[in-house]
Amino acid sequence: MQNVQTLYSKACFIRAFEQEIADAADHGLVPGLLHLCTGAELVEAAICTELSGPADQVCGSHRSHGLALAMGADPVKVAAEILGREDGLSGGRGGTQHLLASENGFLTSNGIVGGQVPIAAGAALSAKLGARGGIAVVFFGDGAANQGAVLETMNLAVALHLPLLFVLENNGLGQSTAASFSSGNVDLLTRAEGFALPVMRMDGFDANCCLDGARASVAQMRSSGGPMFIEASTARLSGHYHGENAAYLTLSAPAIDPLAALASLLPEQPRSEIAAAAARRAKEAVAAAILIPELQP
Amino acid sequence: MNSGNAAVKQRMTIAEALNRAHHQLLESGADVIVIGEDIVGGAGLSEAMAADELGGVFGVTAGLAARFGTDRVIDTPISETAIVGMAVGAAMTGLKPIVEIMFCDFIGVCFDQILNQAAKVRYLSGDRIAMPLVIRTTMGAGDGSGAMHSQSLHGLLASIPGLQVACPATPADAAGLLKSALLCLDPVVLFEHKGLYASEGDVDAELPAVPLGRGRYVREGRDITLVAVSAMVTEAEKAASLLADEGISIDLIDPRTIQPLDSKLILSSLKKTGRLLVVDEGAAFAGFADAVLALASTQAFADLKSAPAKITPPHTPVPYGRALEAGWLPNAEDIVLKVREMLHG
Repeated sequence: MQNVQTLYSKACFIRAFEQEIADAADHGLVPGLLHLCTGAELVEAAICTELSGPADQVCGSHRSHGLALAMGADPVKVAAEILGREDGLSGGRGGTQHLLASENGFLTSNGIVGGQVPIAAGAALSAKLGARGGIAVVFFGDGAANQGAVLETMNLAVALHLPLLFVLENNGLGQSTAASFSSGNVDLLTRAEGFALPVMRMDGFDANCCLDGARASVAQMRSSGGPMFIEASTARLSGHYHGENAAYLTLSAPAIDPLAALASLLPEQPRSEIAAAAARRAKEAVAAAILIPELQP
Repeated sequence: MNSGNAAVKQRMTIAEALNRAHHQLLESGADVIVIGEDIVGGAGLSEAMAADELGGVFGVTAGLAARFGTDRVIDTPISETAIVGMAVGAAMTGLKPIVEIMFCDFIGVCFDQILNQAAKVRYLSGDRIAMPLVIRTTMGAGDGSGAMHSQSLHGLLASIPGLQVACPATPADAAGLLKSALLCLDPVVLFEHKGLYASEGDVDAELPAVPLGRGRYVREGRDITLVAVSAMVTEAEKAASLLADEGISIDLIDPRTIQPLDSKLILSSLKKTGRLLVVDEGAAFAGFADAVLALASTQAFADLKSAPAKITPPHTPVPYGRALEAGWLPNAEDIVLKVREMLHG
């Protein structure tokens, strides 16, 4: 139960952070479009709980605010980076899609769908050659699953026996395109098995499944030193980007909220206390970031 | 200078100089690794077969695996995107990878990892993460390899902010630039000309580093500045000798590095000669030659006595047939004719 509570706290914080950032965007404080991670919090927070940077390194997609936070990056710096401010992780040069906090084990997010996946193989190679027991974990979506870079890396990780955990977050939509269409209705877990990757299915709506699966897979990787593949079901609770209002969104099934499912496992106390504390921390972080000036040319 | 301290010179080819530089670099630290396709050779075959290392299709990396092990000298599947990306990630996490891309044409396969990943990491990290990555690749036509194994893409790569690009023309520069490239905080793409691997030169046995961004004088003269890199340096040298017989003296500069370009060296030469001819095997449009012409016309306009000119191949893919390919490549005769035209009208 303690683990479930901790997961709830982390997931609530990420959710609240995303809401604060979305509010900031609605007030015109974000330079470009935002790709929120709402709906993927359980999977991401559960797996990152098993990791410890900088020995372990995580790479993520364009939708990676939550991963950076889950690995322990300073929320004010993450928020400031997203807002393009001078005390952001990279002084506002990178922004929402290019978060880098390798000090904390969040190596990089990426503006190219699937672009982070080969890079994670490099972090895995460093872990392997450094022999310090670290692993690399790469998160990518069902949209990226059909990119050559991803498929090449799945093979390379097997061929070179790299300690790389592939986490395919399947939320059913790559931008506006159904995952079933993009992959010809092929089960993506079966595809990974075709690469001889040990595979695991993770129900990203079930907190205990996420926690147990994360613990088991990371433990297996630390002992085998080789790659693994998880297909996790997640929800995409926002549009492709925050504020998107396209017709296709009305065609996809209404997403169930994994965080609400997790909340229902907890008694009213400490649930509301945890949620309130997370909301407060997120509000403070984003408010602090808003006060930071922009880096001038 | 005390002649007793003079460095010991050895005669060797570019391929040999590069091989020795790899040995020295791998020796210098356990963080240096080499990655590529067939760079050891025979992976997955019996050990007996693998013992005689292929060392890449040009033999540059032969013998490295025997000495440093296949954990650090890594043969890969044919997956340029994955291996360049892996090298990027490795460089971000403490290793110093040298990646071999067999032919620069194959950069087309892994361009995202170079254009969007390697080139941008240092900037996007706010300078917190260095990218000590070297991509060695080959360039150049002249050996009948056809349109997908003969291009010279140094100008294309040099146009990407965040990348440094060099094109060595001598054994000393090949080894020395490789060393500087691995120390560089930015990723460096080294273009080695296929036709130059067997070309010999005298090299200090220690293979001293050659700084990126600094060109060299191949010969000095007063009438016209010739700028050329890689195999075109050889053609320019031949042309300069022929023109010397006619009393025309050539200031021949090999910038060695495309990005950052040694503008100072070129501009100082133009002050002297007032005339510029760039000879390049790269793009006829928006390539290295055009970059040098732009430099001259924007920074040295007052020094110029005639319109700066260039010789490049035509704006077509590299042809295959012997006569077609030879006609496509700039050569010494083209240079002689152009220089005469520029000086005598």
